[in-house]
Amino acid sequence: MIFWLITTLIKILLVFGVLLLSAAYLTLLERKVAARIQNRLGPMEAGFHGILQPIADGIKLFFKEDIIPADANKILFILAPIIVVIPALTTFAVIPFGAPIRILGHIVPLQITNVNIGILFILALSSLGIYGVVIGGWASNSKYSLLGAIRTAAQMISYELSLALSIIGVIMIAGNLSLAQIVSSQAHMWFIVYQPVGFLIYLIASTAEMNRVPFDLGEAEGELVAGFHTEYSSMKFAFYFIGEYAQIVVNSAIITTLFLGGWEGPFLPSVLWFVLKVFVVTLIYIWFRWTYPRLRYDELMDLGWKILLPLALANIVVTGFIMILLGK
Amino acid sequence: MDALFYIFSIIAIFSALMVILVKNPLTSALYVVLCFFALAGFYILLNMQFLAAMQILVYAGAIIVLIVLVIMLLNLAKAKDTIKDFHQLSVGIISVLLLFVEIILYLNTAGETKPTGIYTNAVINKIGNTQIIGQFLFTKYVFPFEVASILLLVAVIGAYIFAKK
Repeated sequence: MIFWLITTLIKILLVFGVLLLSAAYLTLLERKVAARIQNRLGPMEAGFHGILQPIADGIKLFFKEDIIPADANKILFILAPIIVVIPALTTFAVIPFGAPIRILGHIVPLQITNVNIGILFILALSSLGIYGVVIGGWASNSKYSLLGAIRTAAQMISYELSLALSIIGVIMIAGNLSLAQIVSSQAHMWFIVYQPVGFLIYLIASTAEMNRVPFDLGEAEGELVAGFHTEYSSMKFAFYFIGEYAQIVVNSAIITTLFLGGWEGPFLPSVLWFVLKVFVVTLIYIWFRWTYPRLRYDELMDLGWKILLPLALANIVVTGFIMILLGK
Repeated sequence: MDALFYIFSIIAIFSALMVILVKNPLTSALYVVLCFFALAGFYILLNMQFLAAMQILVYAGAIIVLIVLVIMLLNLAKAKDTIKDFHQLSVGIISVLLLFVEIILYLNTAGETKPTGIYTNAVINKIGNTQIIGQFLFTKYVFPFEVASILLLVAVIGAYIFAKK
């Protein structure tokens, strides 16, 4: 019991630390990749090739003046950035990040907790991310924030459907909702081979869920100043960004677990495989952002409701038919 | 486990009270979300993880979001002076009285009942409660399930027609 408690605590601290650190360094990675795509060098001043840039940014944000607008709803204004960060950080509790290891004769699974409804837990938490945006935009009492929040909310509701439906195919093949089981049933073949459409839909819908370019209408700089976080400054502003970047890591980890075989892989240690795959998916998200222009609002809604949703539904039906034909 | 039950109960009752006591509609909508979280906690204590996840996913993640959106779009920052007419008041008092009668009747008749049927906690944990719920929905309760889905379809079509007008 004591052993279990200690290992779980260590795992929680480890996941928390790594997640926050990678969220911080993702900002640097994004700026570096953006620079390379635009034929620049990116941050070079702080440390070797800008390696200390995230720390410098963090210190700067920490010492900025913290402004709360006079007419804002104070409690909700403070609460909103916190609500953004919580679901992003908690989701990682159910994601297995390595093969079980043996310590002192005990088998320790490298996963904080193995819930038997792992996927639903992730979906439930990701559906709550919207509150931080909506409450933040509303509590600021500014028209740009409100417009950004309403746009974002409408967008997130539209894409959440396709996001949830794109996973159903994986659940059907694995026959289980537990993420540890899903990873172990991919030991021979990754699910991306059976579910290429599901993978693509999840990739697109999750980009929209995170409000990243090309789906960043909620914070379109040209029209809405900065969207829902216009009035935020200092650490509250930073919280929105920690939330966003942690969500990129989490979504990459979910894609890795559901479609790319999780930690399964030959030769290298399992944790390394997991990190490698997550890194590749993260790069895809960043690559998206610096390649595509922003969609118009009606195009965004058309893509969500008229293309992704029917495709996701068709994917489920086709998967079901093939499974029956193959007699699985 | 008992302690958890009481913690969830206190949160549920407190947030339910706050829903009707706060003046700001958005804040009361957020208290509804808190209340749903407490209810999800009850489901987990009852070994019904599937229902708990659905409670959060459907109610907290979708339905209350729509309510919040409506509040934001109508810009109901503060509830205007509520009109207290006799009609409203009488309906409210009658429903509260009915609820109290129901609670008293329930407390009087309900003794300690043992769970019946073959699905004990051990069996549910072995098969998985998602599988059991799915099995029942598609065999024994398939008719009510389909009726509910037709009801939702009617609502969707109705909303579409109203939006078109």
